[in-house]
Amino acid sequence: MIFAGLPLAQLAAIFFAVGFGVLVLYILKLRRRVAAVPFSPIWERILRDKEATTLFSKLKRLLSLLLQLALLALLVLALGDPRAADTLLAGRTVVVLVDASASMQSTDVSPNRLAAAKDETRRLVRGLGGADRMIVAQMDAMVTPLGPLTSDTSALERELDGIRATDTRADFPRALRFATDVLRGYDRGEIVVVSDGALGEASDASGPVHLGSAKLSYVKVGKGAKNVGITQFSVRRYPLDKSRYEVMLELTNTGPESEDVELQLLGDGELVDLTKLRLKSGERLPRFYPQLSGAARTLEARIARTDGTHDDLPADDHAYALLPQRRRAKVLVVTEGDTYLDAALLLDGYLDVTDVAPKEYAPALAKGDWDAVIFDRVTPAEMPKTNALYLDPRGPGAPVKVDRELKQPGFDKIERRHPAVRFLALDDVNIALGHKLVPEAGDKVLGAADGGASPILVAGARAGHKFVAMGFDVRDSDLPLRAAWPLFVLDCIDWFTDDDAQYLSSLRTGEVWRLPVGAAVSEAAVKRPDGVTQSVPVHEGRAVLLGEESGFYELTAGAETTMFAANLLDASESSIAPQDKVLVAGKEAGVVEGFHSGVRREIWIYLLLAAAALSALEWATYHRRVTV
Amino acid sequence: MGLLDLLPWRRDKAPAAARDEDLFDEEFQRKLDYLALVSRRVFAGRLRAERRTKKSGSGVEFADHREYQPGDDFRYLDWNAYQRFDRLLVRLFEEEEDLAIYFILDTSSSMGFGTGDKLRYAKKVCAALAYVGLANLDRVSIVTTSDRVLERMAETRGKARIFKAFRFLRSLEAGGKTDLEDAMKTFVAQHKRRGLAVLVSDLYDPQGFERGINVLRYNKFDPFVVHVVDPAEARPKLHGDVLVYDCETGDEREVTVTAKLLQRFAEAQARYLEQVERYCASHQVPYVRASVEVPFDEMILRVFRRGGFLR
Repeated sequence: MIFAGLPLAQLAAIFFAVGFGVLVLYILKLRRRVAAVPFSPIWERILRDKEATTLFSKLKRLLSLLLQLALLALLVLALGDPRAADTLLAGRTVVVLVDASASMQSTDVSPNRLAAAKDETRRLVRGLGGADRMIVAQMDAMVTPLGPLTSDTSALERELDGIRATDTRADFPRALRFATDVLRGYDRGEIVVVSDGALGEASDASGPVHLGSAKLSYVKVGKGAKNVGITQFSVRRYPLDKSRYEVMLELTNTGPESEDVELQLLGDGELVDLTKLRLKSGERLPRFYPQLSGAARTLEARIARTDGTHDDLPADDHAYALLPQRRRAKVLVVTEGDTYLDAALLLDGYLDVTDVAPKEYAPALAKGDWDAVIFDRVTPAEMPKTNALYLDPRGPGAPVKVDRELKQPGFDKIERRHPAVRFLALDDVNIALGHKLVPEAGDKVLGAADGGASPILVAGARAGHKFVAMGFDVRDSDLPLRAAWPLFVLDCIDWFTDDDAQYLSSLRTGEVWRLPVGAAVSEAAVKRPDGVTQSVPVHEGRAVLLGEESGFYELTAGAETTMFAANLLDASESSIAPQDKVLVAGKEAGVVEGFHSGVRREIWIYLLLAAAALSALEWATYHRRVTV
Repeated sequence: MGLLDLLPWRRDKAPAAARDEDLFDEEFQRKLDYLALVSRRVFAGRLRAERRTKKSGSGVEFADHREYQPGDDFRYLDWNAYQRFDRLLVRLFEEEEDLAIYFILDTSSSMGFGTGDKLRYAKKVCAALAYVGLANLDRVSIVTTSDRVLERMAETRGKARIFKAFRFLRSLEAGGKTDLEDAMKTFVAQHKRRGLAVLVSDLYDPQGFERGINVLRYNKFDPFVVHVVDPAEARPKLHGDVLVYDCETGDEREVTVTAKLLQRFAEAQARYLEQVERYCASHQVPYVRASVEVPFDEMILRVFRRGGFLR
């Protein structure tokens, strides 16, 4: 037995000092109130029945004194905080990872899996031993410890209230690495995963997670598996008719039975399409809606069972998308005259094109707020402070160095992933004459001749402004005769204005979003789908935040407010069947043991309880006149 | 009232004295007249036949028989009756003479306990009955007792002497122990003339109330018990740990008063009153319980109705 509180000598001193006081109080006979009565024999008569012997009376007083001294002894011992030596030395350090991913919003257990997980964690907290310590962390796309490592069970229970479900998938490897970091240096480390088991592989870019000597336990939550979810949802405008758009979505039935669902598509809150579908168990059903119109900004897909009931996971029954904004881009064309270029720019009705001669370039540039400038066989002395497309640049003002002349170069190598040249057929373009461009570090070669050795199409950025440089005059090639020419021009402008055809109609929750904002802004505010507005930092012209909730967001940076949508769209999270086991590095997690609810190892609690019981006994005996 | 009487701890004493002064005020005397009238109406027709004591042997008019008791004069045995019924009976004669009424007023400390209501009430009852007696031309005497005979108002008769009785009663104060047996022995020794002995007392006698009454009975007095009772005494305002002491004997006793104990005390008090009443009933001693909460004139009427006082 070890006294973790006051030392034994001090306890003894307190006991004897206070005990002496108690003894003195008992020895001193309290003066009774004196009262006259007219005829004492009547009192004698009623008291005769309960008259006790003097010895018994003394014994009663002695019993009372002993009760008081026992009470004192219990309180003094409690002050000492006595603990069994082995429990003091061998306390466990427990990291509880509470899964707060989207699948934990499943309502197969009442009220939902997350609440059940909290209850399970609460049981673990209450079952902590006196020498145990615990830390509780929320596991979703991030790992968020809810407090420090502590033995304070009430603080741990309070922390549980802070757990909120997110529309993200759980980053299990990250959580395990966090847990192993916490347990580093502790002998009896234990990791308890409270989850439905939909956690994926315990492995990340750094390789599989190794837990070392820590014990891994798994508390399973959930029982149902019926769910149909929207696992893909995307929308885009047609490049050449931006009033129309097409929608692609995918439904997945992860449940064990066939499901009849009703799919609603809403544009700006109005019903655009309604379809009834039957999905077999495990079926993934893609749906494509071409040539849609009627929505200006927002699109929402909803599914519901045809019988009016809901499946076990409502979080994936909605998907949101935002159509790209149809903003008119202002383009300044500096040219002596180029019919091919003008024709290409005419194809997009959302472009405000202004043609200027090279000598009028400077005042025209200063006059307007241009989204892009196209230099056709003209190269300014210095780069404009906006995005620019250089067609056959020359001289020192070019964004890249223009090297030697190339005879009959071709696009031998094309960077097809770049938005400016994606989906363009440039392989067989015939070019009479061109120049080799020398890209700088960070620039991207979009097309190169001589087997890739001589770049003739380069993209990059200078001082935060994008540019594309093409090392030949289109009139020296058959490119203007091809469909790729106007698409190339428009793709470049779209890329400049972030309005490319690969516009992401929605973001994925659980990822860190980097949203472009004005360069002059240092902080932005985001209004989340739940209506809460939070400020987010801006780094290198982009607002950075971790998306945890699906729905429509509003990003306010300076005076400008833009919207974006976010979705879960994760088939693994939609698959809500709880897993019976969790594997980490090939090792199966065990069941939790050693958490005995209601049994605490702090002896002082029991001492206090005993003191309270003795007080109650003393109170009862006093009022029943046993000890007086 | 002096300035000192304004002090809070003296205030309760001054009104008590005032109450004593007012004890026999005009209102009281009017009530006495009424009571005397009532007593005459009740016994109309026998008004002139003054009360007669049963004094065996000395009268001429046969009144009744009674069982022979050891000590009776053999001369009054009715031998004819003995022959006929084979029982020894004593002939009783009515003797026409003044009735002597003795008011034996207990003035022990217990009578003045608390607010002294019992003694004041006893004085009023005593005065009222004395007035009725005086009005009926009886000889009335008042003696006060505790453990002995303390004071004595000499025998007197005639309604006009009631003021003497008032003065005597006013002067009385409670004090001393109760020992009715000793006191009655002294009383009977001092009063050879037998008569009605009205004992006005709370009967709080540690030696037993019966012994005092028995002394009167054995000495041919006609005892009449007016048991003065204060119901508040059955509900003492005590709680917790107290040291109770007898206001007469000073006997102490440590008591922890609880609600249950108070209930048992009230029951014991009630049993004591019943015991007194039962004793008087079984010994043909007229008994009236005089609660201080009952107006005294109503109490007197009760005495009349009970009988034994007016003959």
